[in-house]
Amino acid sequence: MIIFIENLAGGKVMADEKMSRRDFLLYAMGGWATVGVGGVLYGMYKTWEPLPEVKAQATVSFDISTVQPGELKVVSWRGKPVFVLRKTSDMVQCKDRSVENEYTVVMGICTHLGCIPNWEADKKIWHCPCHGGDYDACGKNIFGPPPRPLDVPPFKIQGTTIVLGEEGPEYKQMKEKGLTT
Amino acid sequence: MKFIDWLDERLAVKELVKVTLTEYYVPKNINFLWSFGVLVMLVFAILVVSGIFLLMYYKPDAHLAFDSVNKTIMMDVEYGWLFRHTHAVGASIMFLVLFIHMARGIYYGSFKAPREIVWITGYILFVLMSATAFTGYLLPWGQMSYWAAQTITTLFEKIPFIGPDLVIWIRGNYIVEDATLTRFFALHVVFLPLLLIVFTAIHLYAVRIPGSNNEDGEHYTKEEKKHGKGIPFWPVFMAKEFFVMSIFLTFFFYLVFYQYKFAMDPINFQPADYLQTPMHIYPEWYFLAFYEVLRGFFFSQNLGLIAFVLSMFIAAFLPWLDTSPIVSGKHRPIYKVLFWIFIADFVFLTILGKLPPTGLYAWLGFVGSLIYFAFFLALPIVSRIEKKKVAGGR
Amino acid sequence: MKELKILAILVVIVLIGYWGIEPYAHSVMHGEVKKSDYAYSDLKVSAPTGGDATKGKELFMANCASCHGVKNDGINPGMDKNAAITSFNVVPPDLSNTAAILDHKFLVAFIKNPQEATKNPKFAMPPMAQLSDEDVANIIAYLSSVAKKDLTGKEIVVEACGRCHSVKYQKIEAETPKDNLKAYLGKIPPDLSVMGKAKELEYLESFINNPQNGLPGTSMPRLGLTKEATEKTVAYLDQIADPHRDQRNKLGVWVLGYLLFMAGLTFAWKKKIWKNIH
Repeated sequence: MIIFIENLAGGKVMADEKMSRRDFLLYAMGGWATVGVGGVLYGMYKTWEPLPEVKAQATVSFDISTVQPGELKVVSWRGKPVFVLRKTSDMVQCKDRSVENEYTVVMGICTHLGCIPNWEADKKIWHCPCHGGDYDACGKNIFGPPPRPLDVPPFKIQGTTIVLGEEGPEYKQMKEKGLTT
Repeated sequence: MKFIDWLDERLAVKELVKVTLTEYYVPKNINFLWSFGVLVMLVFAILVVSGIFLLMYYKPDAHLAFDSVNKTIMMDVEYGWLFRHTHAVGASIMFLVLFIHMARGIYYGSFKAPREIVWITGYILFVLMSATAFTGYLLPWGQMSYWAAQTITTLFEKIPFIGPDLVIWIRGNYIVEDATLTRFFALHVVFLPLLLIVFTAIHLYAVRIPGSNNEDGEHYTKEEKKHGKGIPFWPVFMAKEFFVMSIFLTFFFYLVFYQYKFAMDPINFQPADYLQTPMHIYPEWYFLAFYEVLRGFFFSQNLGLIAFVLSMFIAAFLPWLDTSPIVSGKHRPIYKVLFWIFIADFVFLTILGKLPPTGLYAWLGFVGSLIYFAFFLALPIVSRIEKKKVAGGR
Repeated sequence: MKELKILAILVVIVLIGYWGIEPYAHSVMHGEVKKSDYAYSDLKVSAPTGGDATKGKELFMANCASCHGVKNDGINPGMDKNAAITSFNVVPPDLSNTAAILDHKFLVAFIKNPQEATKNPKFAMPPMAQLSDEDVANIIAYLSSVAKKDLTGKEIVVEACGRCHSVKYQKIEAETPKDNLKAYLGKIPPDLSVMGKAKELEYLESFINNPQNGLPGTSMPRLGLTKEATEKTVAYLDQIADPHRDQRNKLGVWVLGYLLFMAGLTFAWKKKIWKNIH
C-alpha cells in the first residue's frame, strides 16, 4: 500500500521508501496507542456515572391519599423536595395545573435562584425567603422575581399512588400546554 | 513562522530535544535490563492514575474505609474493580521491577564512581516507595492492613527512652485507629508521591550527567558514543523501550485480570478487628526478606530489630563498601559468585518470611540473615583482592 | 540470544519465588482442608422413615410453636421476636423451609439433643426429650410437606444463616441484634458480604458442614445442611463476593489482545529502526 502511494507520487529513492515505512509504523503505533488511551478515557468517564443506589432514586412512589385536606407533605425525589399540597375548596383551583383536580404537585425549588420556598398556611401561599418571591396554592408565581411558576415534576398516577420520575399522560398533557418545562 | 520555531524562541525546545533525546547517547552494549528504569516510571504513572480514580470514591474513615473499597469501588462504581485491581497489582509489581532494576545496578557496578548520587537517590526512592506501600496498605482497613500497621508501629517502641511515647505519637492513639488512618492517607496520597517525584527528577538528572553505565562497565566519551559505541536515546533506545513496555504491560494486565490474588490477600477481605489478630499474619511479599531478618535473630529481639533496620539500609553504602576498580560484575569472577549467592539468599529469605518462624525454619532464617550481611561485609575484601590484581597486571 | 537468556533467568527466579510464597507457604500455613461429612456419621441416630404430616402438625403445635413459626402454613410463633431476644439472645428460626435445607437424619438428632448435634454446648434450644422417634418422624414429615422446594442460594443463606449473620452489601441484616449475639455466642458473627473472597470456597464448604473443622472451639453451631444446600450456599457467597467476574474475564481478553497487537507493532518498529545498528 505504501509502495502504491509512493509510486503515485512519481517514484521514490530506496532510502526515502524505508523512511516512510518506518514512519508508517510510527503512525500505526501512535494510532493504536490513541485507541488504547480512548478506551482508558471511556473507562474513566464511566466511573463518574451515578452509583446504583442513586440511579434507584430515579423514581419515588407516594400515596397521595395519606395527605389530609389543607396539608402539605414534602417528598424527597432525586434529593430534591417535591411539594404535595391537598387543596381545600377555599384555595385557588387551577384545573390544568392540578393533579386529580385536588392536589398541587410541584418541585419545591424557587424558579428564581433555587431556594426552597416556605408554605405559609395562613396566607395559603409559598413565600421564598431568599428574595421574597411568592407562589399561590397552585404554584403560580404571583409576586417577586420568580420568572415562572414552580415546575411540575414528571409524574404518573396509579390509583392513589403517584410515581415521581415517570411521565404519565397527565404530565405529558401539561408539558404540551407549556404549563411546565 | 512555524509553531515549532515560535516555541523554540521561548522555551529552547529544539535544544532540549537534542540534549535529552536525539543527541543523548546511550552505550550500545546494554541489554533489556536497562529498560527497567523506564518500567518503574511506567508503573508509577499507572499507580498515580489508578490512585486518583480510587481517591474519588475512597472514604478515609475507620468506619467507612473497608466498605468504600469493597462495596462502592469494587461493586458499585463502573470499572471500579479494574482501578482497584490495577492499583493493587501495580503496587506489588512495582517492587518486582524495582528489585530487578536495583539488581542490575548491583551486578554491573552502576553504583560506582561517578554514579554514587544516582545510587543514593535511587536508594532514597526505594525507601520512599516502601513507605508509600506501607501507608497505602493500611487504607483498605482489612485485617492484614490493620495488623501490619499495628506490628510495624509497635517496633518503634523499642527505641530507647522515647520509644513508647513515640509510638503513641505516630499512631495518634494508643492503638492503630482512625487518626492513624487519616494521617497515613495524607502521607500516601500527597506527601510521599511529591517526594517520589522530586527525587525521581534528581535521580534522572544524576544519570544524565555521567550517562548510563553498560554491561562491561567501560567508560565512553560522548564522542565515542556518538560514533559507534552508542545509540541515540531517540529514536533508537526508545524503539526498544516501547517493545519492552508492550510486553511488560501484557504481563501486567494478565495479572490484573486473571492472577491477582498475590496482590490482594484473602485475609484483607475481613474488616479490621482491633481485638483479634488473624491466625496467620505476614507482610506483602516485597517486605518478606527484611521481615525474615527481623525474625531471623530469634534469640534476641533487640538484635533482630537492629539487624532489620540495618538490612533495609546497608545497600545504600555499596559505593563505599565495593571500591574495586573493576566496574562490571561481568568481568569479576569472585564478585559474580557472591552476587548470585546474595540473590539466592534474598529469594530464600523472602520465602522463609512467609513461613511460620518455628523449628527448622527459624534456624534457616538465622543462617539466611547472616549470609545477607556477609555479602556486604565481604565486598571490601573482594575490593582489596581485585585492586591487587589490577595493580599486578592481569 | 543473550537477552533471552537474561529473561529466562528472571522468569526462573520469579517463578521459584512465587511458588515459595504462594502455593507452598499457603499449604504450610493452612494444611489440608478437612473433608465434609454429609452423612453426619458421628450422630448415632437413624434417618426418619415414614412419618404422618397431619399428626406431625399437631405435635408441632404442641411442642414447637411456642417459639417457632411456620410462615408457609400461616403459623406465627407463640413468643414474639423481642421476647425471644430477651430470653434467648437469639431469634428462633421460622421453620417453613427447614426440612428442605437440612439433612433429615441431622434433624432427628438435633430435635432430640440440639447441643450435641450443633456441637455448641450453649446452644439456645432446649432438647425435646419428650418426643419419641415416631413423633420426630411425624414432625419432620409435616415440615417437609410445607417446605418450598428448590430454594435459591440467597434464600438458604437468609433462612439458615440470617439469624446471626448479616450480608450488608445485599441489604440483609442479621435478625438478632448485635449485643444479643455477642452475649449468646461470645462475639459478633462476621458479615458474609465478601466471605467468598476472604476464604477459599473449599474451606467454606468444609466449614459450613462442620465449623469445628475450620475453627476448633468456635461457637458457630453445626447446621446440618444437605450437600445440595451447602453447595448452593457456597455458590451464592462466591457470586455476591465477586459480581463482576464475567465482565472482568471478558474485558481481559480484549485488553490482552490489544496489548499483544501493540507488542507486534512496537516489535516491527524496533526492527526497522535497529536494522542498521550493530
